[in-house]
Amino acid sequence: MKTFEGDFHKLLDLLKRREPFAFNRFSDGELFILQNKELILDAQQVKVGEKVTKGLYKQEDFKHFDPRAHSFHRDRLVDAFRFRAKNYFKGLSCRCCVGDESFRWQLEFHGSDDENLTWANLLVNGNYPRFIHEMYPLFNGYKTVVVCNDKADLSMFPFLVKDFRVGYNAMVNDYGLIERMKQWIVENRVEGHLFLFSASAFSKLAIHQLYEHCGRNTFIDIGTTLNPFMKMRLDRSYLKAFWLGTRNADIHKICIW
Amino acid sequence: MIKIVTSSSIPVGSTVALVSLCNRLNADGYECRLFGPDHWHLDKCKSGTLAEFRPEKGDVIIVHDIGLHSASDLQDVTATIEANRSNRWQDILRRMVRGCFAGVKKPDDFTIVLTCQGDGCSARQTNLSLFHKVHCLSDAQKIPRRGKLPVFVCPNLADDLKTSASKPAKVAGVVGTIWRENQLELSIKQAFEDGMETVIIYGHLADPIYYYNDVRPVAEQYPGKVKFAGFVDDKQKLYDFVSDVYCSSAKPWSTVRVESALTGTRFHGPDSSGAEPMSNERILGVWVEALGLQQRAGRP
Repeated sequence: MKTFEGDFHKLLDLLKRREPFAFNRFSDGELFILQNKELILDAQQVKVGEKVTKGLYKQEDFKHFDPRAHSFHRDRLVDAFRFRAKNYFKGLSCRCCVGDESFRWQLEFHGSDDENLTWANLLVNGNYPRFIHEMYPLFNGYKTVVVCNDKADLSMFPFLVKDFRVGYNAMVNDYGLIERMKQWIVENRVEGHLFLFSASAFSKLAIHQLYEHCGRNTFIDIGTTLNPFMKMRLDRSYLKAFWLGTRNADIHKICIW
Repeated sequence: MIKIVTSSSIPVGSTVALVSLCNRLNADGYECRLFGPDHWHLDKCKSGTLAEFRPEKGDVIIVHDIGLHSASDLQDVTATIEANRSNRWQDILRRMVRGCFAGVKKPDDFTIVLTCQGDGCSARQTNLSLFHKVHCLSDAQKIPRRGKLPVFVCPNLADDLKTSASKPAKVAGVVGTIWRENQLELSIKQAFEDGMETVIIYGHLADPIYYYNDVRPVAEQYPGKVKFAGFVDDKQKLYDFVSDVYCSSAKPWSTVRVESALTGTRFHGPDSSGAEPMSNERILGVWVEALGLQQRAGRP
């Protein structure tokens, strides 16, 4: 039976053993794209399908998925979601965070449940202290490549050997970067490296295609987990709870399957 | 069997020391296991979870940071630790009452030894008369009624470290658990005042709020020059990466000074030891004698 803590330790043990794997996360934003709903995140509005609410996003998080204009990129996201391979782990939005209906939709869209399906929130909420205390230090043992927003400052990472940058709506606008990364891997015979992705929906496409291209490296979608070290904002409640001590239940939340 | 049981097995100095002790005892033929509530120690030595811990006849039990009022508190050590941590007024009252009426009877079936890591605070929350022996790291530790207790003193074991083959220039390590008492912000400033070009922070992030509010702003005064490594298991690698080590708090029991000397790393920090450093052989000898273990041939 999957457990939130148990699956975290499964990835942790792979990192300790230096066994390559990929951890790809499909959160609520990706869920809407998979459902082929228009998605707009900006300062003025949040639009999901026909539903519009007030916007609260900052520039680096702006996103626009238009089902008509971006069908190619949505198809690549579906590929990433349905791809199956040894040690290719997919994090889904859990029923406690998106509700039963959406959770079941993901499983049906995927085809079936399997042992490589896990939580999109695996590195956050109640597992975030473990991530910082136990997983982050292991990055020191790897030659590490970071893929992130062009505003991020990576100078705090002692393990960094290379970075790739993305900008606004990276899934669409920076799609070509995946090919350039493949070339860099081939030309430099990159093996045994760790790739950390903090690049929104671009991460999902890149992790799938790069793991398929060269599964001798490890690829982890770290999301916003390292924002405090990258001079990025702490606008997620689990980050505020951990780093600022604000009261929020998310930092203790053990997500259920 | 020797069983070490601790209320916390996260990677801070005390856990690292208990792991080293466990490994060294096993290496010398004394069967030993470390039991703790966290996950970190499980692949570092012969170990177990707290749920697996049971005192058995003939055991020598080394207790760290667990407030005991009677030997029976060791029967369900998880419940004992949780009760000690609870801030509910009923539990606080219960602890006070139990403290007042605590017995003085030492267990007959097994030997219990208290190890006081750090400043010895935990010793003030336990019934010291239960213990057959009390271990202190240095004469500086403040243990209540220390003069009347069967105390033995030895520092923690140092890792087997070698002088680094090559050292970087002007790279400082700020080494130690990341919490307020270690004053990392002062160490970082001092390192740059001394001409260091890079500072790497090594240690378990025990207090992220302190880090974010006090350490990070200082680090940002030196753009691109401060790095955060977190707790690194491999001490040899840690010392190989730095030319200098900075500490700002005076801790006579800290092994950082000894490890710096072993690896040819310049140490900058308060000279708080006062005592002659002991070799690992001697330290183990003190433990063997204190625990009443049969001395292995060739030991001092």
